[in-house]
Amino acid sequence: MSRTFRLFIFYCTRTLENEAEFLPAADPAVEVHAIPMACSSMVKDLFLLKALEAGADAVTVWVCPEGACRHGEGNLRARKRVQRVQSLLDEIDLYGCRLTLFHLGPGDRSSAIKILREISGDLAGLGENPAGIQKDRSKKQGTSNNTS
Amino acid sequence: MIVGEQKPIKEILNMTAPHHRLLVLGCGTCVKTCFAGGEDEVAALASLLRLASRKDGRSLHIEEFTVERQCEDAFIAEAAEAVARNEAVLSLACGAGVQAVARRFPRFRVLPGVNTTFLGVLEHRGVFTEECSGCGDCQLALFGGVCPFSRCAKKLLNGPCGGSRNGKCEVHADTDCVWHLIIERFTALGRLNDLRTYVPPKNWQPSLSGGPRKLIREDHTL
Repeated sequence: MSRTFRLFIFYCTRTLENEAEFLPAADPAVEVHAIPMACSSMVKDLFLLKALEAGADAVTVWVCPEGACRHGEGNLRARKRVQRVQSLLDEIDLYGCRLTLFHLGPGDRSSAIKILREISGDLAGLGENPAGIQKDRSKKQGTSNNTS
Repeated sequence: MIVGEQKPIKEILNMTAPHHRLLVLGCGTCVKTCFAGGEDEVAALASLLRLASRKDGRSLHIEEFTVERQCEDAFIAEAAEAVARNEAVLSLACGAGVQAVARRFPRFRVLPGVNTTFLGVLEHRGVFTEECSGCGDCQLALFGGVCPFSRCAKKLLNGPCGGSRNGKCEVHADTDCVWHLIIERFTALGRLNDLRTYVPPKNWQPSLSGGPRKLIREDHTL
């Protein structure tokens, strides 16, 4: 039985301008929610945790290459925040590897598609997020695969 | 300000495990500035606790609330309704705030979510350093406004020890030698000769070693 996973992508609009550039290439078994940011420095620990609470099985943050942030250090701050949340997730045994960060050059669509494929493959091994809201919902409704 | 850091999440999970309704109570003053217990940290910790409890199949309802200061009764009172709706309070204030909340709500369990660390300053973004020990007998006038009691690893009152290298402490190489700073300060003030004055041993009587201290301002009491 094929499972639909949920992936949240927080991306700096300096990497890819909009989701139309990568969404069509996403694995149909993965429901993708893309959140554009003017700069990756806007990523906060709370947003990443809330995405997992909202049912994300994986969260990924796409930032400019190091040294290329138009605001100087946005991608460096994003990386540190991602690392902190990864360690918190490891501490509660939710697997920090559900959260990833990738550097993408401006308009680097081919890397974005490659990353999406990589995450889809990883999700098959990781399984669904046992702490997502989706799990509660499926329990209440008595269904095993409710992804709506 | 009072500097603190959030306790490890595993310790918080162990403390809160017996409870099904928990109020995460933030403090909007010192611990907010050091990213340990303000509104943002309350929200992030509550989210993390919800994730952990869901993963473990544990029923846990979390409410979030932040008051201006947990060390003042007038502000704590604002949390009374939220406290009443829950079984326990996880306070993200300093130790004084935790105790003040516990005193205000004697029938509720109040748990500390923060390790209170020291009195310090924001050195630069994200870096806080201890600058005051709260010794109760401030002698900063003798040292050009730089405190060797709290900032010298050897607590030397008649320094320097001679072990510093390039202005850094020989005990902690990433820490400025406080006596180097004192000499720089006296030089800038044109008061280098003050270093010739012998400073007698400090009177530690007003310090914490004599038990909990109390400050009474008669003009503010009735």
